[in-house]
Amino acid sequence: MLDNLSSSLKDAMKKLAGKTVVDRAAVDELVKDLQRALLSADVNVKLVMELSKAVRTRSLEEEPPKGMNVREHVLRIVYQELVRLVWASTDVKLEPQTILMAGLQGSGKTTTTAKLARYFQKKGMKVGVICADTFRPGAYDQISTLCSKIHVPCFGNPKEKDAIKITREGLEALKEQELIIVDTQGRHALEADLIQEIIDLNNLTKATHRWLVIDAALGQQASEQARRFHDAIGIDGVIITKMDGTAKGGGAMSAVAETKSGIAFIGSGETVEALERFDPDGFISRLLGMGDLKALLEKANEALKPEDVDVNAMMKGKFTLRDMYKQLEALNKMGPLKQIMGMLPLGNMQLPEGVYDVTSTKMVRYRIIMDSMTPGELDDPALINSSRMQRIAHGAGATPDEVRELLKYYKMMQRTLKGLRGAGGGKFNMQRLMKRFSGMQ
Amino acid sequence: MFGGLREKLQAARNKLGSSIQAVVKPAEAPGPQEDTKTPPVPVSSGPAESSVPVMEPGEGQATGEPKKIRFVDKVKTLIIDRELIVSEKDVADALSDLEMTLLESDVALPATDAIIANVRKNLVGKHRKLGESVDALVVNALKTALLEVLGNGFDLSAYIRDHNKPVKILFTGVNGTGKTTTVAKIGYYLKNQGFSVVIGAGDTYRAGAIEQIGVHAERLGIKIIQHQEGADPSAVLFDTVQYAGSHKIDVVLADTAGRFHNKANLMNQLDKIKRVMKPDLVIYVDEAVAGNDAVTRAFEFDKTVGADAVVLTKADMDSRGGAAISIAHTIGKPLMFLGVGQAYDDIMPFEPAVVVDELLDGGS
Repeated sequence: MLDNLSSSLKDAMKKLAGKTVVDRAAVDELVKDLQRALLSADVNVKLVMELSKAVRTRSLEEEPPKGMNVREHVLRIVYQELVRLVWASTDVKLEPQTILMAGLQGSGKTTTTAKLARYFQKKGMKVGVICADTFRPGAYDQISTLCSKIHVPCFGNPKEKDAIKITREGLEALKEQELIIVDTQGRHALEADLIQEIIDLNNLTKATHRWLVIDAALGQQASEQARRFHDAIGIDGVIITKMDGTAKGGGAMSAVAETKSGIAFIGSGETVEALERFDPDGFISRLLGMGDLKALLEKANEALKPEDVDVNAMMKGKFTLRDMYKQLEALNKMGPLKQIMGMLPLGNMQLPEGVYDVTSTKMVRYRIIMDSMTPGELDDPALINSSRMQRIAHGAGATPDEVRELLKYYKMMQRTLKGLRGAGGGKFNMQRLMKRFSGMQ
Repeated sequence: MFGGLREKLQAARNKLGSSIQAVVKPAEAPGPQEDTKTPPVPVSSGPAESSVPVMEPGEGQATGEPKKIRFVDKVKTLIIDRELIVSEKDVADALSDLEMTLLESDVALPATDAIIANVRKNLVGKHRKLGESVDALVVNALKTALLEVLGNGFDLSAYIRDHNKPVKILFTGVNGTGKTTTVAKIGYYLKNQGFSVVIGAGDTYRAGAIEQIGVHAERLGIKIIQHQEGADPSAVLFDTVQYAGSHKIDVVLADTAGRFHNKANLMNQLDKIKRVMKPDLVIYVDEAVAGNDAVTRAFEFDKTVGADAVVLTKADMDSRGGAAISIAHTIGKPLMFLGVGQAYDDIMPFEPAVVVDELLDGGS
């Protein structure tokens, strides 16, 4: 998702690699590349200018700490300055509260409302949803359908045009619930009466949190819109949606800077499960191509038992069909391979596109095929000869061609993971850098 | 929209104008303002004023006349052939300002680069005659660059009139850009133009989408073909086309579910829809507030399912309209409509020439 931005940043960093002293020209070049990278990620222009100025001054003036080379020195400054932009992490407590959703039309408030409800429900809270979107046709149908799928009570009335009235009734009807999420109609900052409406809603609900939902693709408008929402109701958290597209979310970064709040969650898919907690540190690490082990771990702890996916074994290159089976099994819980891989510290490694090109239906087929293999075959796929292949295909109701395809896919995965191992031990050691960064803050 | 961009462009244009003017100034001196060249002579008129020589010429004129003419002649012959050519260095500063302006207005980086290159090409090396105003030169360069990017508009009514009925129009785009609302608005627009319209509820995925388009259609009095949630969108849209054929309806508007261009299976589904309903026009819908990603996704959509025209929604959000320029630059397809509000009539045909004229001439 943040591929392009991080690859251009990486290019910029690479240019510094051979230098032994911080020279003005090299830093200027880096700053220029950094500017372009951030601008093409939709970070606010003024913010970019401030940031790049700070990076430039600090790179030239500060003495590199002992044992840190020029590139690490500059990298560290870039990192620190970027972290400062998104630093404040929004505190999400598991206690009775009311959350008011705000945002532009089509930014994904309703979908996110359902995802949040699911998130808190999974954490063991009693959640209720109020649909205060009285404008868009089908809004109530949408949220009530989503809520009934996850068994969360949803209050709304498509006939009623008064959002305030619905919300008042909703708060009464859902007073048994510990946590109430109020979904509102999309609005933009220039619609004065709608802004007044959300101010009234805020006063009525006495919301604990007022979260602004921002589309990852939002451009330079993000700052301005965020500022106005902030002036109206005091935004205390931002949720970036649609991070599964190719947008880089720089607009959300500007919004965070504008509201002095933090990014609470990231939405990255159409299902109710596709929501992750935002970790600013990890966000930036990933931005710089250093991987985000922390988010991977948090996600893995929540969804998986430890034996489900052994990342370490995978990294060591010991990857059997059995591991692949586990990975496919975990797919529903943990998201597609690409997401998982995106969180590993892969540095400049480019994975072949084919690895990700397996659709979820195919994954299901693969699992069925593997179900008709013997344990021996799963541990050592080399055993599989043509007669075994016939048997497996027969047992799985598949063709031998499909079995062959599966084996081909397995080999590709195995090769890829072997490649990873090589990259990790290379001269630009990611793990070492990560360690350093975690010690620094 | 475009209000912000206009302001910025005016400023950029002034800056470009003045930096060219600064170069050209010595050359203009021989003409009407020859007195500015006099300072060398009347320095004596007052020590305090020597730092502001421009103020002095009035009194110095009488005494310095003979000497001055010779000096001016020299300047004339020296300068006229050379300095009137605008050099790259002269405009570099102003162009980097223009670059920032475009970026601040959400024009994506590649599009910005292209426009800047175009303006530079049009300005640098230009011979400027004494009579021609700097302003005109700059405005023309900018105008050419913008028009080149924006291309021509797209007259939907004329297209429908000229083609065999029913004209089948397929709407595509990523999630949340406003496809469904746009379908309703265009349905309303075409109905007012006297065409008969049927809508196909091709978004069978998102919860509430069928209800949403259903309510729109009911309010507008437009026939709608819908299946239940989770149905195959190709089938819905095929039925819609069949209905239009047998009921002699002019236009089929096919709504689809929002999808991201990097989801292979969803894009394949869109491809299937296209094979099944064989649309005459594929319309790509995106939002005016989108930033750089507008370029990536417009490109991917155009590549996978094609796009014949573009509709830009949410143009009322005080945006600078940069997305219009980015998308047009990327896929070179005309902009058809702008969505400018939440009501059914909040849609306006896009006419590039008018917009560009307004951007550069309006308000000045």
